[in-house]
Amino acid sequence: MTDQSVSRADSALGCQDLTKSFLGVRAVNGATFEVPRGQITALIGPNGAGKTTVVNILSGLMKSDGGTMHLESTETTNWESEKIARLGLMRTFQLSRELGGLTVLENLLVAPHDQPGEKLFNIFFRPGRVTKAEKAHVERALEVLRTYGLYELRDSRASDLSGGQKKLLEISRAVMAGPKVLLLDEPMAGVNPALIERIGGYILDLKAQGVTVLMVEHNLNVVEKICDHVIVLAEGRTLATGRLSDLRENKEVVSAYLGEVIDASAIS
Amino acid sequence: MSAFWLYVFTLIFFLFDYFILAMGLNIQYGETGILNFAYIGFVAIGAYMTGAVSMPNSVGTGQHYILGLNMPFPFNLLVGGLSAMVVSVLVAFIALRRLRTDYLAMVLISLSLVFYDICNNYVPLFNGADGLYNVPSPLASVLHLTTNSFTVVFALLTGVISLIMWWIMSRITRSPLGRTLRAIRDDDGVAAALGKSVFRYKLTSMMIGSFFAGIGGGLIIQFNTSFNPSAWLPGETFVVFAVIIVGGVSNNIGLLVGSLLVETMLVHLVAFLPAIPGHPGLILNIAAMMIGGLLMVMLWFRPQGIVPEKLRRSPAAVSSVTTPTEYAGIDEGVSHD
Ligand SMILES: Nc1ncnc2c1ncn2[C@@H]1O[C@H](COP(=O)(O)OP(=O)(O)OP(=O)(O)O)[C@@H](O)[C@H]1O
Ligand SMILES: [Mg+2]
Repeated sequence: MTDQSVSRADSALGCQDLTKSFLGVRAVNGATFEVPRGQITALIGPNGAGKTTVVNILSGLMKSDGGTMHLESTETTNWESEKIARLGLMRTFQLSRELGGLTVLENLLVAPHDQPGEKLFNIFFRPGRVTKAEKAHVERALEVLRTYGLYELRDSRASDLSGGQKKLLEISRAVMAGPKVLLLDEPMAGVNPALIERIGGYILDLKAQGVTVLMVEHNLNVVEKICDHVIVLAEGRTLATGRLSDLRENKEVVSAYLGEVIDASAIS
Repeated sequence: MSAFWLYVFTLIFFLFDYFILAMGLNIQYGETGILNFAYIGFVAIGAYMTGAVSMPNSVGTGQHYILGLNMPFPFNLLVGGLSAMVVSVLVAFIALRRLRTDYLAMVLISLSLVFYDICNNYVPLFNGADGLYNVPSPLASVLHLTTNSFTVVFALLTGVISLIMWWIMSRITRSPLGRTLRAIRDDDGVAAALGKSVFRYKLTSMMIGSFFAGIGGGLIIQFNTSFNPSAWLPGETFVVFAVIIVGGVSNNIGLLVGSLLVETMLVHLVAFLPAIPGHPGLILNIAAMMIGGLLMVMLWFRPQGIVPEKLRRSPAAVSSVTTPTEYAGIDEGVSHD
């Protein structure tokens, strides 16, 4: 099966027939979709649908049991996550994973690839090069922190941040690496409405800079506002892909996911 | 010179030597998160190799050992450090590639036990249970040193070497490399997701730490002029861990404080106390219990150590270049779940 809604030429990231089981539980069961380049795509579906597992597989954190995947034109099936990251794919985690013993600024400074100061030889024999690169990275990191409203917290221990601040830190750390494709696993979960608004703005800015975004999101208002394309996942399979307005017409989708959400919002 | 001053300089030697050993284990454990329970094995490799290459050919010495190259100080010491480093590469490829921290720790402790048994029983390697003795004292003939003045000179020399090693280690831990190692320590999954080659960095950390272990071990055999399996029981690794945990993980000053308290005061100072009549070795056992007790007290009440790890705050120069912007309060971003 292939995803017909996005041509392979327009796709920045995609997968075919991905499967993954945990001790007999089929978490992913043939997921197939393409993520259109330069757009914001939502990955939605009920709890336990396999969204996080798909993100984990696409970013190389987990190996799939079967199926294939690609990043741009490169086949990345079974690649290590560090290799996938170097191709330009960055991700955030549903439960924030800040580098707790480092400061906020250091969390960002870790991100750039191939820093001269990461090589022993350079540290002792080319200190000028190390300092120069470090200066440039610090400048850029402070700029990113200012953009994301974390500048004042730059010297705080990352583990001391609040939940919302950690969400911002994860996004800014990924941005610091200069990603081409960004996978965001529920970037707005557990965040207050004002910050949801701000994070939405940041994601739109990233799109304007040419970054392809795939975000797992439960809040359909957010999806409606900022996402160009939607992938619905249920029981590990791709149920439908397309625009949210089209999907609302799809009975299967409504009963699997949208229905319960719409009902829930009707009650509240 | 009085026996008192000999004691003092012996203590000074162990203070500085364990400072070097603690720095080596700290980059592996404190900075990178590698639980190297085989650390004392790398110290032993450094000691044996330093000794073996500085001794004459083993034929006619009454001992059995490999090499025997008559190599002068400090080249023999460098061979000791580099040998430990080379072995760490082999160990890393066996154990560090796939294993999780806890399994890695078990594999390492097993490897150190195997290595211990080989050294203890296979005589042609490093003279088995007798170990190496009559190891030439460095500089003794050049400087016309007596046994006593050698103790003083070598203790001070070890102090100088430890300062050089400190400078090297500080350069490393303060560099972007050190930062990346700490990122791996905090969450290697995140480091990998950022594109860091986790294995390569763990390998680098193992190599640097093992080099320090080898140098520290080499200094021990030079100071004592002998080294045998009773000097590096696998449990010795935990003395070095105790130095780090008591002093303060990831803080070089803390490591020096830890060496002073644990190694100098508890391990060596008590060794000079007169034995309790009728209970030989009791004092050493009490010292070991005190180290264990101190470790528990520290882990319970002050797990960060006496001198805790410092946050690497942005340099003053950075803050002055940049104009602080309005801080958009995001404290409201509290988690609802
Ligand atoms: N590491 C794991 N070990 C065992 N089971 C797992 C693991 N990860 C996920 N699962 C199972 O796989 C299924 C899919 O989980 P996943 O986290 O991908 O869902 P999700 O769509 O992200 O859900 P949510 O919206 O709640 O975050 C669930 O049934 C979950 O229990
Ligand atoms: Mg999830």
